[in-house]
Amino acid sequence: MASSDDPSRREGRYDRRELIRRAGAAGISIGVAGSGFGQAFYGPLRFKGRWLKGDLTIIQWAHFVPAYDKWFTDVWSKNWGQKNDVQVKVDLILNTLLPARAAAEAASGSGHDLFFNLSPQAQFEDQVINHAEIVQEVQRKVGKIGGLGKRATYNPKTKKWFAFADNYVPDPVVWRHDLWNGVGIAPSTWENVRKAAPKLKAAGHPIGIGQSAELDSNMALMAFMMCFGAYVQDEKHRVTVKSKHTIEAVKFMADIFKSGETDEIFGWTPASNNNFLYSGKGSMILNAISATRTPEDLGLPFADQLYIYPIPKGPVRRMGLEHVMGSYSIWKFAQNIPAAKKFMADLEINYKDAFVASKFYNFPTFPGALPFKRIQKLAAADTHKPRGKYQILTTIAQKYTVNPGYPGYTNAAFSEVFGKFLIPKMFAQVSQGKMSAADAVSAADHDFRDIYTKWRKLGKI
Amino acid sequence: MDAVLRGFREKGLSYLIVGPFAIVLAFPFYVMVITAFKQQRDFYDLSHSPYWFHKGPTLSNARFLFDETQYTTWLRNTAIIGVVVVLITLVLAVPAGYALARLSGKLGQSVGVGIFLTYLVPPTLLFLPLFSVITQLDRQTSHLLHFHLRGSIWSLVLVYPSFTVPFATWLLMGFFKTIPRELEDAALIDGASRLGTLVRIVFPISVPGILTVVIFSFSLVVNEFVYAFTFISASSHRTLSTGVYTDLIRGDLPQWGAIMVASLIPSIPLALLYNTFLDRFIAGFTGGAFR
Repeated sequence: MASSDDPSRREGRYDRRELIRRAGAAGISIGVAGSGFGQAFYGPLRFKGRWLKGDLTIIQWAHFVPAYDKWFTDVWSKNWGQKNDVQVKVDLILNTLLPARAAAEAASGSGHDLFFNLSPQAQFEDQVINHAEIVQEVQRKVGKIGGLGKRATYNPKTKKWFAFADNYVPDPVVWRHDLWNGVGIAPSTWENVRKAAPKLKAAGHPIGIGQSAELDSNMALMAFMMCFGAYVQDEKHRVTVKSKHTIEAVKFMADIFKSGETDEIFGWTPASNNNFLYSGKGSMILNAISATRTPEDLGLPFADQLYIYPIPKGPVRRMGLEHVMGSYSIWKFAQNIPAAKKFMADLEINYKDAFVASKFYNFPTFPGALPFKRIQKLAAADTHKPRGKYQILTTIAQKYTVNPGYPGYTNAAFSEVFGKFLIPKMFAQVSQGKMSAADAVSAADHDFRDIYTKWRKLGKI
Repeated sequence: MDAVLRGFREKGLSYLIVGPFAIVLAFPFYVMVITAFKQQRDFYDLSHSPYWFHKGPTLSNARFLFDETQYTTWLRNTAIIGVVVVLITLVLAVPAGYALARLSGKLGQSVGVGIFLTYLVPPTLLFLPLFSVITQLDRQTSHLLHFHLRGSIWSLVLVYPSFTVPFATWLLMGFFKTIPRELEDAALIDGASRLGTLVRIVFPISVPGILTVVIFSFSLVVNEFVYAFTFISASSHRTLSTGVYTDLIRGDLPQWGAIMVASLIPSIPLALLYNTFLDRFIAGFTGGAFR
């Protein structure tokens, strides 16, 4: 008969040594099991990415579609911050102020974690991190980055991703169907534009393609050049602006100005061509769809008459640039680089909401994030008149949109040419009769070569 | 009768000359007021005169400004910065101006001109180095002060005196020179100390000059843009000049009505201030003109 003092017989009762032994074993068991489940010791995490903790500061433009800002700050950033336990702070500023702000932050080595720009800022390559990790993470989830995004943010010479482009914006021609109908022409070719220009101007509705030191003029004129077979650089990043094609393009645009535009185009800001259209005066501009969305929102009487087309075909080809290359950079001195990387990757992976919030303005640089077929469907469902007009955007995006600097990559030298607005300057000098086309192109070529030599010496191209 | 006619002719002539000036100068204010109460769609209708209402006045612009932007915060920030900078300017510029005025010979003149020259260096050259200075200061002081200097209105309070003090010093130097030394000598002979002479004799006579400095410095601060934009990015810390520009132009759509309301509100007290002290203001500016 077993003694009643036998520990094995004492159900539910342990001496001190036994209690410690069992408790220790249980603790080790839970610990081992817990190594596989992060929350085993302390219950489920409140937020999945708790390791990110901290603040994330973002600066970006006040979007041309204001509804996007509301979504980005009040919905996306807020929700993302809660999920990742990060306090996200978004500062919105006017697009024209971004370059000065970037220069100030880079010079002082202090600023926001994520800095957005409307075009890739290759000149800051040494001040920013390599964004390859974000690209790889997004590629892992949604597939390869589009060629446009890669060529705009990757430096093949240094093998560095100097920015992360979350979106690009197709750049159609926006025109007043009623006014063009009146002259019996459509802006399908640049020759048609030249023919219609004097008639439209005579009717009090000039054309509005800027030749000013601003973003839209840059984009429109560089795209216009490509339609004539003229390029700033070739695929090996050698300056190629001095060509008969460029001279022809510059002369052609001067013709359009003289017969169909007004002096206003020399003093434009990025919003000027939009306002020119909204006033009812303009008959055609090259701009993203904010130019049609705002009249729809304001209920302007001619909103239904605003049609969008791909860029007119030139003597050589039909080829346009994106209107905006939405690129985020993470400074090396950023305070919360892990959060900035994750924020970017998550935004891109879930881009459908961004696309819808921007009213089809922002296209994802990773086609897999929102395939063109789905974009087409969403665009077809848009009820604004003429119904289905936004479907053409997918054609423009797929067939007629290339990166700034095409056929090469967007590099530091090209960015400097872009940032100094040397292309609009070249066009304006001819349109204003200050220089002949050949001289203006030669002068531009000289300036470009200086810039390219400098960056080549720095090993960036 | 002749005297009446002569008076009428003289006044009539004055009105004839002043009238067109007044109309030209008041016209922007008129446009501001009209635009402040216009409906948004009215701005895009070029078939009607922009100088009157077509669709009827509205308060929606003011409602937008006060309900959907941080306008009152920008007003408060601007007022705080303005008042503090004016105080700093007075504390530094009044004694400096007086000392320079009383420095005899070419030295005083040269130092005065040198100080004024620093005012002429444009902010577009200075904003980058000063941004770096503020960033450095921020790094060194944020732990002690428990707030970030960079991005706060106090960074502007530190930077603005760099251009208000040189100008105010130069202005006051000229003004102090017009005060006869004999007045100070008399006070000193009567037993007043140097400080007592300054406080009891010099400063009361210098009120027009000091007032000019107050109004001018405050106006400079209210109008300043480059530093305010570079140093501050959060909407809640912005001043009027940057808040209106960055928050009331939404993408390609300037909120013209709200912009005009936002401009009208601070311009009214400033205009009243200028008018109330107009004579003293002119005296302050011309005080040193003849010495």
